[in-house]
Amino acid sequence: MQLTYTPEQQAFRAEIRAWMEANVPKEPLVTLECREGYDQHVAWERTLASGNWGMVTWPEAYGGRGLDLIQWLIFEEEYFRAGGPNRANQNGIFLLGPTIMEFGTEEQKQRFLTPMAKGEVIWAQAWSEPGAGSDMAAISSKAVRDGDHYVITGQKTWSSRAAFADWGFGIFRTDPDSKRHKGLTFILFDLNSPGITRRPIRQLHGDTGFAELFFDEVRVPVENCLAGEGEGWNVAMATAGFERGLMLRSPGRFQATAKRLVDLYRQHEAEASPAAREAVMQAWMAAQAYAYNTYAVAAKIMAGGKIGAEASLNKIFWSELDRSMHRTAMQLLGAHAELKRFDDGSVNQWLEGYIFSLSGPIYAGSNEVQRNITAERLLGLPRVGAG
Amino acid sequence: MNMLFTEDQLTLAETVRDYLAGTHGPEVLRRLDADGNRDPAIWQGLVDMGLTGLLVPEAQGGLGLGLVDAALIAAECGRACLAEPLVDTAFVGVPWLVAQGKTDGLGEIVAGTRKVALSHQINPWVADGAGEALTSVDPLRHLSVHIERSRDTSAPGPSTSLGTSDEGDDHLLNLGALMSAAQLVGLADAMLSQAVEYAKIRTQFGQPIGAFQGLKHQLASCSVAIEFAKPVVWRAAQALADGLESAGVHISHAKVAATDAAMLTAETAIQTHGAMGYTYEVDLHFWMKRSWALAGAWGSRAFHLRRVDEAVLGGSLPIGPEHTFA
Ligand SMILES: Cc1cc2nc3c(=O)[nH]c(=O)nc-3n(C[C@H](O)[C@H](O)[C@H](O)COP(=O)(O)OP(=O)(O)OC[C@H]3O[C@@H](n4cnc5c(N)ncnc54)[C@H](O)[C@@H]3O)c2cc1C
Repeated sequence: MQLTYTPEQQAFRAEIRAWMEANVPKEPLVTLECREGYDQHVAWERTLASGNWGMVTWPEAYGGRGLDLIQWLIFEEEYFRAGGPNRANQNGIFLLGPTIMEFGTEEQKQRFLTPMAKGEVIWAQAWSEPGAGSDMAAISSKAVRDGDHYVITGQKTWSSRAAFADWGFGIFRTDPDSKRHKGLTFILFDLNSPGITRRPIRQLHGDTGFAELFFDEVRVPVENCLAGEGEGWNVAMATAGFERGLMLRSPGRFQATAKRLVDLYRQHEAEASPAAREAVMQAWMAAQAYAYNTYAVAAKIMAGGKIGAEASLNKIFWSELDRSMHRTAMQLLGAHAELKRFDDGSVNQWLEGYIFSLSGPIYAGSNEVQRNITAERLLGLPRVGAG
Repeated sequence: MNMLFTEDQLTLAETVRDYLAGTHGPEVLRRLDADGNRDPAIWQGLVDMGLTGLLVPEAQGGLGLGLVDAALIAAECGRACLAEPLVDTAFVGVPWLVAQGKTDGLGEIVAGTRKVALSHQINPWVADGAGEALTSVDPLRHLSVHIERSRDTSAPGPSTSLGTSDEGDDHLLNLGALMSAAQLVGLADAMLSQAVEYAKIRTQFGQPIGAFQGLKHQLASCSVAIEFAKPVVWRAAQALADGLESAGVHISHAKVAATDAAMLTAETAIQTHGAMGYTYEVDLHFWMKRSWALAGAWGSRAFHLRRVDEAVLGGSLPIGPEHTFA
């Protein structure tokens, strides 16, 4: 165990800090969940790419800097320190990117990774279907082989960013006689393909965060299939591992929220309850604990290890931390919390953050499902309904 | 920057775990509680493994290892609910004595012939000291009245005092709190395992109770609390080893997190056992009572929360994403 940064790591931090200070927009961007905000966020992706900050861990050949996970964590810390915008391409760079790196052919890496790192192609994730939420193996959207194409018919839903994004990825049933986890294939598709209809869905906050996708005989070339036909479930599980385990929610995000919460507490100290004070301390402690754990996971991966079912612990921890921090902020704000667009917009940030935090325990696999996984795979308890 | 244990550290911890699992099972705790009879072979085994000298410099005949190594072993002592004063003597007492330059008694400590009882203003009672016996929630802990203020170096009884700490000796407090936190995560791990094992074998409604989500989810929540307390403890150990000015805050954080994880797990483990959990018959209570005892030792939860509060809200500790480790 060695918990100090090398001079190179410190210099790297300083380099990012200077770049962020010069480039992070001074005014917060309009929410990503509408056309105008989406365009602003995509423009920001391109600004990031112009500094070669799109995805620092990727090899230079694919638009990255070939850096390690500790440097990635330093990057993320500085990103959130600077108040960097939400990443329009998070599903690409944090989820699909690592999956392509692991399962893709050289040609697929060349074709998809660089435009992703450069923010030229924004990706949406399309697993969920109306009949397949937590039970993802119940998906029924079909991809039928026709020569060198798949013909996709069916429906996906809750696809974040899909209202505006360029490409999507998901799993489809390629073997019509298959059941559950078998016969599924991981396919990448152009969201502008003929036969795809997008229907934006308004979220709790009133904006369009995700969309339904209808597929009506959409033709997708077979070379857009990742890993082999029928391998979809395994590939999807790897993607989900990245989502829950390490990349989707780097600690800086929560440490920044905890810091804002401490400031908010100071402003409201006179009327705050002792319970709120303790909750603020818990927020700082839990955000730090999450950071230490992430450094440990990063070190483990760098030493050749893998993220297993413990990714579920992570997902439970960060989503419940985020919700409790925002709940505490709501309590501190009291009646102020109700006002949209109050003073400098910071109140609105808490309100929107609270609303968004309520989705954390649902997306990326609900926390109930994560607790099932923890109990069954980490603790070894019998499966639900086992006799 | 590397938050991994070395192979050597993990191997040593595993060796200690195996040794304690083999020699210090619940029957040892029961015998000790029944008639106070201690099997000297257990202590001797710890001595033979070099653990009493773990933190003693090599020049003084020890292994010269560090606080992170010691914290890992302390967690194993917690896992086994060890009823020998190894942690106080070797992982709290020794580094304090070394820091004070009081190296005279170290040889005897390494040899296992001298055990150390530690006194500090924060603790109302001295654990494992000799003196007027008090009743503790933990039937395996011998407590005596607080002798700290007396400054009477002969007070600790059979073995003479090796030194007197100042009233507010932060270094001793930090060592004691850190090693308590490390034991607490080990205790919590063990209580969770006991509950999980029971949930696999007890059947009701025609299935193992562990298949019911109502229990599964509670046990999973314990796992979350424990796994996110551990890195805090290791970080705190490294902070103290590195001599960080903020080490005390990190240790307080560790004590709070480990206490919360152990308390949650203790209650959940009892609940999982049903009425069995409410008996003296089931081993769980030894671990639970040790957890309670350590939760209150070397500063209560409230004390440590206040130390965090003073640093974080008080503004002396820089916070934010760029301050994970600095
Ligand atoms: C903000 C947001 C963004 C999203 N983005 C995407 C996206 O980009 N792409 C995508 O494909 N999907 C996305 N989703 C969908 C998300 O993955 C699903 O919502 C999630 O998998 C849960 O499925 P469901 O909504 O159908 O709920 P259900 O599966 O119907 O679950 C409803 C309730 O039942 C519980 N439950 C279900 N099964 C079990 C069980 N076995 N044990 C105990 N409890 C159970 C759940 O925990 C939940 O509380 C998003 C969702 C949200 C809220």
